[in-house]
Amino acid sequence: MSEEPARAIKLNVINEPKDSYTGGPSSLCPGCGHDQISTVIINAAWENGIEPHRIAKMSGIGCSSKTPAYYLGQSHGFNTVHGRMPSVTTGAYAVNKDLLYLGVSGDGDSASIGIGQLIHAIRRNVDMVYIIENNGVYGLTKGQYSATADIGSKKKKGPTNETQPIDLCALAINLGCTFVARSFSGSKKQLTSLIKAAMSHKGFALIDVISPCVTFNNNDESMRSYSYVKENEVTLHMADYIPHFNPVEEIEVPEGHFKDITLHDGSTIRLETISEEHDPGDAMAALSALHAAESDGKHVTGLLYFDASKPSLVEDLGLVDEALLDVPDEVLRPNQASLDALNAEFLS
Amino acid sequence: MLKGCMRTPTGKDAPTVPEKRMFCMGTIINDFTINIATANGTGSQSANLILLQSLFEMGVPVSGKNLFPSNISGLPTWYIVRLSDKGYQAPGDRTHIQVLVNPATWDEDLAALEPGSVVIWNSDTKGMTVERDDVVSYPVPMSTLARKINPKIAKLVTNIIYVGVLAELLGIDQTCLEAAVSKQFKGKASAVELNITALGLGREHCREELTKEDPYAVEAREVKKPQFFIEGNEAAALGAHYGGVQLLAWYPITPSSSLAEGIINYIPRLRTDDDGKATMAVIQAEDELAAAGMVLGAGWAGGRGMTATSGPGISLMQEFIGLAYFAEVPSVFWDVTRVGPSTGLPTRTQQSDIAMLYEGSHGDTQHIVLIPGTVEECFEFGWRAFDYAERFQTPVFGMSDLDLGMNRWACGGFTYPDVPMDRGKVVREQDVFDAFETFGRYLDVDGDGIPYRTLPGSGMAPILYRGTGHNPMGVYSEKPEDYYNLMQRLRMKIDGARDALPAPVLREEAECEVGIVFLGSMENSIQEIDDILEETGLKVSQCRVRALPFHSEVESFIRRHETVIVLEINRDGQLYGILRRELPNDLVTKVHSVAYSDGMPPRARIYAERIKATLEEVKQ
Repeated sequence: MSEEPARAIKLNVINEPKDSYTGGPSSLCPGCGHDQISTVIINAAWENGIEPHRIAKMSGIGCSSKTPAYYLGQSHGFNTVHGRMPSVTTGAYAVNKDLLYLGVSGDGDSASIGIGQLIHAIRRNVDMVYIIENNGVYGLTKGQYSATADIGSKKKKGPTNETQPIDLCALAINLGCTFVARSFSGSKKQLTSLIKAAMSHKGFALIDVISPCVTFNNNDESMRSYSYVKENEVTLHMADYIPHFNPVEEIEVPEGHFKDITLHDGSTIRLETISEEHDPGDAMAALSALHAAESDGKHVTGLLYFDASKPSLVEDLGLVDEALLDVPDEVLRPNQASLDALNAEFLS
Repeated sequence: MLKGCMRTPTGKDAPTVPEKRMFCMGTIINDFTINIATANGTGSQSANLILLQSLFEMGVPVSGKNLFPSNISGLPTWYIVRLSDKGYQAPGDRTHIQVLVNPATWDEDLAALEPGSVVIWNSDTKGMTVERDDVVSYPVPMSTLARKINPKIAKLVTNIIYVGVLAELLGIDQTCLEAAVSKQFKGKASAVELNITALGLGREHCREELTKEDPYAVEAREVKKPQFFIEGNEAAALGAHYGGVQLLAWYPITPSSSLAEGIINYIPRLRTDDDGKATMAVIQAEDELAAAGMVLGAGWAGGRGMTATSGPGISLMQEFIGLAYFAEVPSVFWDVTRVGPSTGLPTRTQQSDIAMLYEGSHGDTQHIVLIPGTVEECFEFGWRAFDYAERFQTPVFGMSDLDLGMNRWACGGFTYPDVPMDRGKVVREQDVFDAFETFGRYLDVDGDGIPYRTLPGSGMAPILYRGTGHNPMGVYSEKPEDYYNLMQRLRMKIDGARDALPAPVLREEAECEVGIVFLGSMENSIQEIDDILEETGLKVSQCRVRALPFHSEVESFIRRHETVIVLEINRDGQLYGILRRELPNDLVTKVHSVAYSDGMPPRARIYAERIKATLEEVKQ
């Protein structure tokens, strides 16, 4: 314990210190992009003033899926099975729609073994944040290519990848995903704004984060190394998040063009034009940006696509207003008279 | 081939009396089997159900078995109606009355009949005739008669014509027939009228063109207790509602789809508030893996989630079943079993998932399996499954089968749950939580192996649930003592459930040396098996197992008998295998397996003969 006089601890809008949002120590490799993302998650949740216990941390299997132990120690979580986190989240969300579901997955989880579950969670518009910590390799099994490895990229050991990668953002846009973004674990400011905005969104919010694997895929020939991504990142716009509870805080009105998008909880994401204006409401433009970047060996980042018009899964299910979890047992179980009536009808 | 296994071989079972004499032996009342050979997708199912229901309305003890193909339209289907004053519900040993409508199986069906059988056949069937002179032949121009009513739907009406002929030949009461038609078409006037007209044409043809030469007849019976017909799947679906199911996540598969759809169908009536909003969610998943994942998600969140599937679906769910066991997540899985392995015979019945359910998933596991044998139990276990899942914080299986699930069975009515919903050891209030000296998600506070849990969103004792090794606090651990203690506790927890689960149904007579242990839908054949054995001088006791792990009464039953036969509908004797492993050594040698399956609903004589053969072997 420090013997210095106590400094005033900085509290967020619900008077919680940042410590309320931290987790256990990481066991990932020093310098892993995933740890940077964990830090951003902690900051985003704290700054957004979300009650920690109202968050549910969901994950599958892999390096990325271990990270829920490293953030939000006051939140319940479920480290499920490989690639199957979307279905578990879907079931939990159907029963308790009032939690903020924060899913973290990897490229093995999301682009291979669990791609079907990801697709169907998007299709149903499950109300969740879905972060893919995407490094192009399997880490825990020691460095095999994943299905997102770029053509022409070479990991530390083995041949150059010549297999067509799956672009999860393009996939999500084609599926009508309501919030699609790409970011880079090294772009802390952009990533923070995007995660905060995703938390304010109602519906499936996918953020594909390029998160270099320092052990197996950070060499010079890799297209997912820190240095490569830094040099080849094409940023669509500067993203700022303006929380609904403090709409003017520290946000300067930019000089150039910008576009404000209002999120479901009243917060705003402000997208400041850098060169050409990107319209996140235009799926074709988003796909075009992704394909152009891919053919140039670049990584495009920013809020690619956004659609606030679609109902989320629970809104589609025709359920009572309260979460099903809060429906009392006496209401869940139909009464004796209803069974008597059924028996009588069957007998008639 | 399917055909061959539908009948007992001719020869030793063939009647020894000359056929001519048999016709004048007098009337045979309420004790014969009708086999109706049609093609599916032709509307024959509703015709057959009208026949079945009309007999039921008369109070005749009757059972119907639909032998259908995995196909939408065109492949052979048989419907077996057994009338039995003794209440036998198995398909019976032979066909007494054969209805021939389907040219595809015509010759084989005809050839398989024993001398003296009755054949009612569609004489409009091109190129088909009945040339056997040792059967009673009733040609009926079913298509011509059907076309008279409406040429456009002649194919559908053809089927109802044979019901009219049967009604006239056997003496089925017209009021009961009309009541059955009305039930089948839910009172829809145009359909009811059309079918009653067609039935009339069948009757009329029979009266005017045919002379009754067979001995078969039906007679109304007094029914002591009013009953109705219902399928096991519908009963289980209703049970789930009375268990307060909150999420149904499912993927369509025969023969379980009608269980899931049964739940869906009753939501407007049973689970919807005045504003039309439902108190349960239904999600049709992308596959069985996802369905299982959703069920676990619901259980983890604190809700009652379930799925309904069949063997192939359970195979796909294995990974999640292990997670539910190890992370202790309440979850309910209904397996309406069919013939395996692999795709197997998807529309035929079998009890071959017993071992897979009991020990589902990799690693050491053990699961609670509820095994209904009647539609009343389908209902009861439908709601109890949730209580067990939440009480023991573990996956619970309902194991029905195609025969019980998709055929109609007589039911005296369902009984309302006699206990409130058991939500298990869930800490919901802060003061309760604060009273714990130490709270650990996997800490065995009460010594019964069942820990306490808090729910996501509660803010109390949050943990990261995981399928990896963990200590009593729910924290990742690979320590030998943590793993060992955890696995011992899990075993103790499920072992402790034995006597809380449904006890076996015992039918025991003093001084019986032989006991039969059986399960599930074999309930519907056991009385006939018992009677066949008794005819040969062998009296046996019965013990119908209704849950796994075994109730202690199963062991006591075995202890009271000299020899015990474990009877099941599969090849390998799966229940026998589990029993053998769990019984004390001194009892193991008493127990013998009789396991048989050919895809057909169990025919009593086959099992009775195998029991006798096994007992002979044991004696030697």
